[in-house]
Amino acid sequence: MENKPLIEVRELTKSFGELQVLRSVSVDIMPGEKVVIIGASGSGKSTLLRCLNCLEDPTGGSIMFEDEDLADPKVDINIHRQKMGMVFQQFNLFNNKTVLQNITLAPVTIRKKKLAQAKRRALFGKCEKPIETKEQILKEENEKAMQLLARIGLEDKANVYPSTLSGGQKQRIAIVRALAMNPKVMLFDEPTSALDPEMVGEVLDLMKQLADEGMTMAIVTHEMGFAREVADRILFMDDGVIAEQGSPEEIFGNPQSERLKAFLAKVLS
Amino acid sequence: MYLEGLGNTLLIALIAALIGIVIGVVMAMVNYINKKTGRLKVLSKICNFYITVVRGTPVVLQLMILYFVVFAFWDNGIMIGAITFGMNSGAYVAEIARSGFESVDDGQMEAGRSLGLSTWQTVRAIIIPQALRNCLPPLFNEFIMLVKETAIVGYVGIYDLGKIPGLIQSRTFDYLFPLLIAALLYLAVVLVLTRILHIIEKRLAKSDRNGGGVGNGK
Ligand SMILES: Nc1ncnc2c1ncn2[C@@H]1O[C@H](COP(=O)(O)OP(=O)(O)O)[C@@H](O)[C@H]1O
Ligand SMILES: [Mg+2]
Repeated sequence: MENKPLIEVRELTKSFGELQVLRSVSVDIMPGEKVVIIGASGSGKSTLLRCLNCLEDPTGGSIMFEDEDLADPKVDINIHRQKMGMVFQQFNLFNNKTVLQNITLAPVTIRKKKLAQAKRRALFGKCEKPIETKEQILKEENEKAMQLLARIGLEDKANVYPSTLSGGQKQRIAIVRALAMNPKVMLFDEPTSALDPEMVGEVLDLMKQLADEGMTMAIVTHEMGFAREVADRILFMDDGVIAEQGSPEEIFGNPQSERLKAFLAKVLS
Repeated sequence: MYLEGLGNTLLIALIAALIGIVIGVVMAMVNYINKKTGRLKVLSKICNFYITVVRGTPVVLQLMILYFVVFAFWDNGIMIGAITFGMNSGAYVAEIARSGFESVDDGQMEAGRSLGLSTWQTVRAIIIPQALRNCLPPLFNEFIMLVKETAIVGYVGIYDLGKIPGLIQSRTFDYLFPLLIAALLYLAVVLVLTRILHIIEKRLAKSDRNGGGVGNGK
């Protein structure tokens, strides 16, 4: 692992009106690190994760990612979000798009826009005329999407709409949709909580594969077995702060605070 | 004469529907973006003002103002009728489209934004198609209303189905027959349109079960 953190969160706070949900959270996420976030419902896990890519605007503090502070409203957040994949509890596949289009929409839209901008600049003689064409972009992204679908064994679903899929299939497609942007970090917010029990395994297996390939991951989950196996570090959130953190051995084998002991007793029973 | 009137009625309704949909969807979209991101505040206020004024005044009055005042220099009654009804219908379509936008799951926008698409890119590719699909039946209903309402255009002197009985009657002094034919023609058109609406509804229900959205947008 390199020494410079990929994401550096400092004194992050978040309030919804009067309600303070995050009270000064500081954490570093190193390249390739797998950080699992656990804690009782309402403790602020989702809010923390959603602040990392500014789906929630932080109230205070800073989030350094690639030498820019994402908490600064002047930063172009779209550019950074392209490098941070996010997977939601409710999958959130695009209902009006086929599986293949779900995967290609963002990369194609963004590359086409870049191409149009480059063409405009070339018109004013500011740079070389781009050699890439729209058709090429489409072809490349379709091929890449088919490879991603092959990886999860769902090539035959390329042209169906999401409403025909099982929860496990939807979530695996949501994961490869995020991967199609070649993200530097993947954020997971309870990716298996909305699934029928028999489908949890296929999603966790895919996540384990990503972990083995060295993807940087921040995962909110209640799957303690998975946390123990995959996590480099576990954060225990309680009432808007990181109350305790450590390796899986430390958290599960030697919890310090009463709150963590009570939480573990509840989820492990 | 009846057929010419029918053609005008449908033409006015069709152009008005197009104008209404563009105005209505744009206004609903401005309000949606304002609600989700806090931007476009002034535009959103203007849209709400427009909706209040148009919905709060009779369409006959709007027609007269546009025909006799705003477009006094222009004698194309059909176009003025279409513009009036389009602007009027836009305010109602905006309400229909608003509920369409609100019925789209917030997760759709979040997914688009999390992939690095801008708000506008997500609205265009994901939110608008789903919002329109969700409110296709009431939109089509609005179109049927439009077909009937355009009979009013007769007030300011354009050939239209509702006006022809008046013309014929002034020659034949036979009230009942022309009015009846006009009513029957309207009924026929509305019944055909209602039938189309039912087909659309059935198709939508079917694609809900095994297909999902409206087409693929490409
Ligand atoms: N958009 C919101 N508006 C108001 N309150 C919110 C919003 N999102 C979350 N909260 C509140 O913030 C607290 C923490 O929520 P969350 O981060 O979702 O917790 P967790 O994911 O750990 O269950 C909860 O009390 C929740 O009600
Ligand atoms: Mg949560």
